Amino acid sequence: MKLGSFEVKLEKRVSLPGWEATLISLLAILVALVVFSYIFVRAGVDPLTGYKEIFSYAFMSSFGLPLTINRFIFLLLCTYAFIIPIRAGLWNIGMAGQLYAGALSAFAVAFAFGAKTSQNAVLPPGLVIPLMIAAAILGGAVVGAIAGFLKGRFNTNEIVVTMMLNFITYWIVARLIKEGGLFMGASGEGDGFKIPESIYAPLVKNVPFTVFIALGLAMLLYFLFAKTKIGYQIKAYGKSPSAAKYAGISPYKIPLLVFIMGGLIAGLAGYHYFAAVPGVYKITKNYGDFGDLAFYGIICGLISQGDALAAIPIALLFGGLTNGGRFAQGKLKLGFGIDYALLGVLMITLVAFQFFYRYKIVVVRTKKETSDVGIHS
Amino acid sequence: MLLESLKRGDTVLEARGITKRFPGVLANDRIDFEIKAGEVHAILGENGAGKTTLMNILFGLYQPDEGEIYLYGKKVNFRSPLDAIDMGIGMVHQNRKLIPAHTVIENIILGHPRAGNILNLKRTGKEITELCDRYGFKIDLKAKVWQLSEGEKQIVEILKALYRGAKILILDEPTSALAPPETKRLLESIRIMTRDELAIVPFITHKLPIVLEVSERVTVLRRGKVSARLETTGATEKSLAREMVGRDVIFRMERVEVEKGKPILQVENLSALNDKNVLALKDVSFSVQEGEIFGIAGVSGNGQQVLAEVLAGLRKAQGGKVLLDDANITHSPSLERWSKGIGYIPSERVDVGSIGDFSLVDNIAMNYYFDVDFTKGGIVNYKGLRKLTEEMISEYDVAAPSPDTMAKSLSGGNLQKLILARVLSRKPRLLIANLPTQGLDVGATEFVQNKLMEAKKEKAGILLISEDLDEVLSLSDRVAPMYEGEFMGIIPGGEARREIVGSMMAGLKPKVEEI
Repeated sequence: MKLGSFEVKLEKRVSLPGWEATLISLLAILVALVVFSYIFVRAGVDPLTGYKEIFSYAFMSSFGLPLTINRFIFLLLCTYAFIIPIRAGLWNIGMAGQLYAGALSAFAVAFAFGAKTSQNAVLPPGLVIPLMIAAAILGGAVVGAIAGFLKGRFNTNEIVVTMMLNFITYWIVARLIKEGGLFMGASGEGDGFKIPESIYAPLVKNVPFTVFIALGLAMLLYFLFAKTKIGYQIKAYGKSPSAAKYAGISPYKIPLLVFIMGGLIAGLAGYHYFAAVPGVYKITKNYGDFGDLAFYGIICGLISQGDALAAIPIALLFGGLTNGGRFAQGKLKLGFGIDYALLGVLMITLVAFQFFYRYKIVVVRTKKETSDVGIHS
Repeated sequence: MLLESLKRGDTVLEARGITKRFPGVLANDRIDFEIKAGEVHAILGENGAGKTTLMNILFGLYQPDEGEIYLYGKKVNFRSPLDAIDMGIGMVHQNRKLIPAHTVIENIILGHPRAGNILNLKRTGKEITELCDRYGFKIDLKAKVWQLSEGEKQIVEILKALYRGAKILILDEPTSALAPPETKRLLESIRIMTRDELAIVPFITHKLPIVLEVSERVTVLRRGKVSARLETTGATEKSLAREMVGRDVIFRMERVEVEKGKPILQVENLSALNDKNVLALKDVSFSVQEGEIFGIAGVSGNGQQVLAEVLAGLRKAQGGKVLLDDANITHSPSLERWSKGIGYIPSERVDVGSIGDFSLVDNIAMNYYFDVDFTKGGIVNYKGLRKLTEEMISEYDVAAPSPDTMAKSLSGGNLQKLILARVLSRKPRLLIANLPTQGLDVGATEFVQNKLMEAKKEKAGILLISEDLDEVLSLSDRVAPMYEGEFMGIIPGGEARREIVGSMMAGLKPKVEEI
């Protein structure tokens, strides 16, 4: 394209420094907010007021912030459950199923200690809480392992398998918590049983301790992929399975390994939301909504390009927006689905801006003598 | 258009001052040349000399930053290959652009403007058959493309271009994948085409003798510039190579005599299946000694690949035994073989031997991440690997800006040097080199062959698999021609006569078998 004596060209990038990637993402967010202003205007709301409501509730209000942080922990764990397999070139679409399995396993431990029968039971938290977490990890890992094993051994499509496992586990949960199921709550309204206060997950400044697990995992995953042998093997398999095989990396073990790792982190997300978030402490009847929320892990994972540290701000943003968007929708009496529309616009813009990860726009001054041959407009 | 009135010697295509820049690279720097009807005009150059860029510009895939192209005297601007095709330029790609599941005739008419929605296969078939008869192509039009040999696929691509009415035919490395008889037939067809005033433009990096045999004029590229324009009468293989590389090149490696030691590798009655579960390696027995190059000559697809993979531990053996230093490794995993001293240079440089989206350091790590010198307690010493990579880059003269460069940005020759550096740096007792010089230009080929000789001097045993008969004969101490999964015999390299080995590669057992 020519503009006077200047020419605007797209150039393929050879490398992408971290700060430029950050800048591109920030720009994408800004563009998304500007684009979405149109919807606010159509709804008769001043966009600045709208955004102020969303962000101040999500990140500054004493009611909203804890909710945002709880969602952030949940989303970050789901993102990691997606990131590990994607580094091996495999798609984990089964965070929902894995987190259901994790939640069920954790509550099975509580059940075994008699938590269902007595709401006021005093159980030893030092024993039961670690057991619940271990069970959640195990439950998620087992469901993940099914997809990983089938992929490694029979080259079954992991997307289909994880997707189907979501349905299977969804209905297992339904069978257990509803209509006379083993884990049915006392109210009989479709929720699972509530755990006694003695085994509520410890809070630090009103935030569940699982936040440390999530942030610790961020460091661990960063280290795993940057420094370790296993991380190298996963990345090599992800970039080229045939070259990985040449380098002696087992094409059977890697899929199994990454899905076990992904599954166990998703299992933790299940523990976090249903057994550690204040005010929940049960598998709620709308547990399917959290399965749906888990899919934002895919978006966060894709936007962060598999980088465990970059995923932190992105998960925080999405956690805040899901939370603040819903609040603003109610407060400003906006139409149903405005919050999802905002997330949708943001996702599309972030993904579209990844174009600039691969290309950059350069403006060159066209020389006089060659100005008649340049590129076609 | 005036195509019909073309006369022999008329200029059909002229390029003036073609310049193309990529980030950090000046791929084509003011290139001029002209192509005449009825002439074979070869474009010669090493890997990375700018040939591919130029070819893509001529075919409309890239637009030049500067410069002009004149076709039949008129200035043209190709916006896409379709423009080029419409104006009579045909391209025969080295990486075939054909649909394997379709028949030959379907592939030829695919995208042809006259094909329309309803295919008249009968009429088209007749027309294509006429083309075949005229130029001496033998091909079954009803065969599926996946059933064809490389040479036959190339014929399909040529027919496709001719059927589209090409008057200028660009051939990318036309003989690199062909067996000797196929090459001969292709050259014959090219001669007939030039009689019909077609202009043929082969782009070539190696196989210089063919350039001399078939072309009238040659334009040599070096580092993006035209370094020479010559007539082939009076040119020699040596003079062409000098223009390409910028220095004298040794063509025949002197075989160094090294005292042979004890056998490193012993293979007994080895059999294996290929990917289609067909027995592709049948009862092969041989041994490789210290300080020996054992050459396997054959046209690709005769079981060499299967043999190499079984020895490297990447494919299961169906039967037989493999001994390394008298220890049975028939069923050992590949990693164990690496640590026991087997080194493998795979023929698939890009898909197996390297990872394009990995940095050079990560590529070097492919053979080191398991090494206790670099990985302790599960932590990879990337700093150490980086230093190792830097050493390799300078020792093997790999043209790369830094160890963090992605492997995919290296040219074929540089990538092969990197793989060679990585494998040889482990000082393998047994080196399996599968088509180590395939597709490399003369300079890189010389380099690789030198390194194999050096490894031999250091008492390594080398299994050299090659399609290039001259290479096998000049480097190997013993040669085994391979045909349909079997050795046709094992002949001492010094006594091997080209004709005898050539006929053995085609499946004929010699009358007196020398072992």
